[in-house]
Amino acid sequence: MSILMNNSTRVIVQGITGRIGSTQTHWMLEYGTKVVGGVTPGKGGSTVEGLPVFDSVEEAVRETGANASVFFVPAAFVLDAFLETIDAGIKLIVIVPEHIPVNDVIRMRNYAIEKGVFALGPTTPGILVPGKGKMGIMPASLFAPGRVGIISRSGTLSYEFAGILSESRVGQSTVVGMGADPVVLRNLADILELFQEDEGTDGVIVVGEVGGEQEEKAAGFIARRMTKPVAAYITGRYSPQGKRMGHAGAIVRGSSGTVEGKHKALREAGVEVLESPIYVAQWAKKHNLK
Amino acid sequence: MRLHEYEALDIFEQNGIPVPRRGVAGSMHEALHVAGEIGYPVMLKAQVLVGGRGLAGGIKTASTPDELKEMAEELIGSEIKGLPVRKILVCEKVEVAKELYLGITVDGYSGKPVIVASTEGGMLIEETARTSPEKIAAIHIDPSFGYYPYLSRGLLKMLGLKQQLITAWTDVISQLYKVALRYEALISEINPLVVLPNGGLIAVDAVLEVDDSALSRIRFPLPDRVDRIENPIERRGREIGVSYVDLDGDIGLISSGAGLGMASMDIIGEKMKPANFLETGGGITADLLYRCMELIMMKPGLRGIFINVYGGINPIHEGAKGVVRYIKEHNVKIPIVAKALGNRQEETWEIFSSAGVHVVTEVATERAIDKLYEIVGGN
Repeated sequence: MSILMNNSTRVIVQGITGRIGSTQTHWMLEYGTKVVGGVTPGKGGSTVEGLPVFDSVEEAVRETGANASVFFVPAAFVLDAFLETIDAGIKLIVIVPEHIPVNDVIRMRNYAIEKGVFALGPTTPGILVPGKGKMGIMPASLFAPGRVGIISRSGTLSYEFAGILSESRVGQSTVVGMGADPVVLRNLADILELFQEDEGTDGVIVVGEVGGEQEEKAAGFIARRMTKPVAAYITGRYSPQGKRMGHAGAIVRGSSGTVEGKHKALREAGVEVLESPIYVAQWAKKHNLK
Repeated sequence: MRLHEYEALDIFEQNGIPVPRRGVAGSMHEALHVAGEIGYPVMLKAQVLVGGRGLAGGIKTASTPDELKEMAEELIGSEIKGLPVRKILVCEKVEVAKELYLGITVDGYSGKPVIVASTEGGMLIEETARTSPEKIAAIHIDPSFGYYPYLSRGLLKMLGLKQQLITAWTDVISQLYKVALRYEALISEINPLVVLPNGGLIAVDAVLEVDDSALSRIRFPLPDRVDRIENPIERRGREIGVSYVDLDGDIGLISSGAGLGMASMDIIGEKMKPANFLETGGGITADLLYRCMELIMMKPGLRGIFINVYGGINPIHEGAKGVVRYIKEHNVKIPIVAKALGNRQEETWEIFSSAGVHVVTEVATERAIDKLYEIVGGN
């Protein structure tokens, strides 16, 4: 079992004709993902990796029965393509690109939530279900099937955690990148809820970082709703916090999203805080996770 | 990108927000000239891109030309929180009946713009937010509908401000929201927003931070972005398109993601000291990593280098070629440890090894940093 992706997930790749889009389509197919087509406006009728390319998402959905989409679209065109994808009836969207203007992400997020679409990113490595399939850019060799869920704000650190677990013969049920931008399309607590309900997941690792208040808010959800063991690692303890100006962010949050503040909130919710990624293997062993 | 106060005040003024009479000065003589035109007393404000400037002594009031000379000479060329003061703003000193706070930012958690206001403007606003949250009011803006003035009227009520302010207050917030939209601002802030004895409002300070991801589509003129980075290595990093932050250690770092880079710094920091943070983002090529090597080597005295990259979206075998080319061309003798995992990892390891780079094939970053520590030791 897994969250977000399963055997009936049929994926289209938006921006499939680009250099990154076509390379990643190759890797996704090789991993066993049901990729059924792609979209690049103006390139309809061509093929990539043997898959049909369409001019619009609506055509792609009609012709292939796609129900999920992964984006390799240039940042400036993502908002437009995202709205098109939702209107075409796709229910799961992964936004890999970075550097999308915050004002665009705000519009995307609100439209997705209004339409009941589950979207991840921007700046996310995507979703990977070990041994089954992936939407995004996660390098397959680091993952192994099992019963631990991972949610990460950082792409590369999600690989690191999965890799350390796999090396210690602990597998993963699903690995989810939630995106690294100040505004993301889905909050941490929403993804935790899916793992709590998933029969294939026995424990969850949250990989967070300094800044924002995702982890603090998720701590409330964990305390109220999570019965499965949760471990968390928060990076950025020694990071220079930039030369912050303005107070508005800190005033809204009532804190400045420090590593210490996040640790405290998570510990109070019963989460085991890991001081370094390497301790994740011991945590999994302690809870007998496989 | 953060704008200087004098740049932001110009933008606020162009958009109809009342601001004091003022001028920028790069020397004592210029300051004297500006003050002569405005009339004494004047405020002198160091133009540095850092918060907490007032508490650090960067804001002074001069009542006479003699005082101004002394203060301007003291400020210009000094350092505030490590940043050089090249310019000061010479500014009319307005009469203050009350100091308010007003800011517009993006609330990351709800994914909505939010207007924040307080009756307690000034340097201690964050303190107030913690100790007296009832003195802070915030209203979120529904992104589907945008801003309407009734939101400002609601804020006025929430804060218990006098009804006489209603027109001036609503105007300032409407204009500030216009600035936030036009400049794709992550933060636009006025602190303090001064209530004058006659009941008018005036923005005595201005903070504006523009969304870097939106720079190419902003239709209004903006100052140069690279120009304002004081540190030469950080400036060069911006030019080649990577995030570089200069630190005071001696272990160079190249990483392929912000989270991985921060975690590497955290682990290096336990036994050694990182010389920098460097994150390549998802655009690694042989050329880019060659330039990253060049970049971190700009800092003298490195004892070791740690390269931590994953091949997800990045072709790490290409990156390795760039590193190796740099090592060979510059005959680099500093020990280098690399951890490179993911697509085409074996090929990447071979390329690194060919130039004497120590390759660690375990996943945990800890192991690779242990290896580096074994070679270079602590300090």
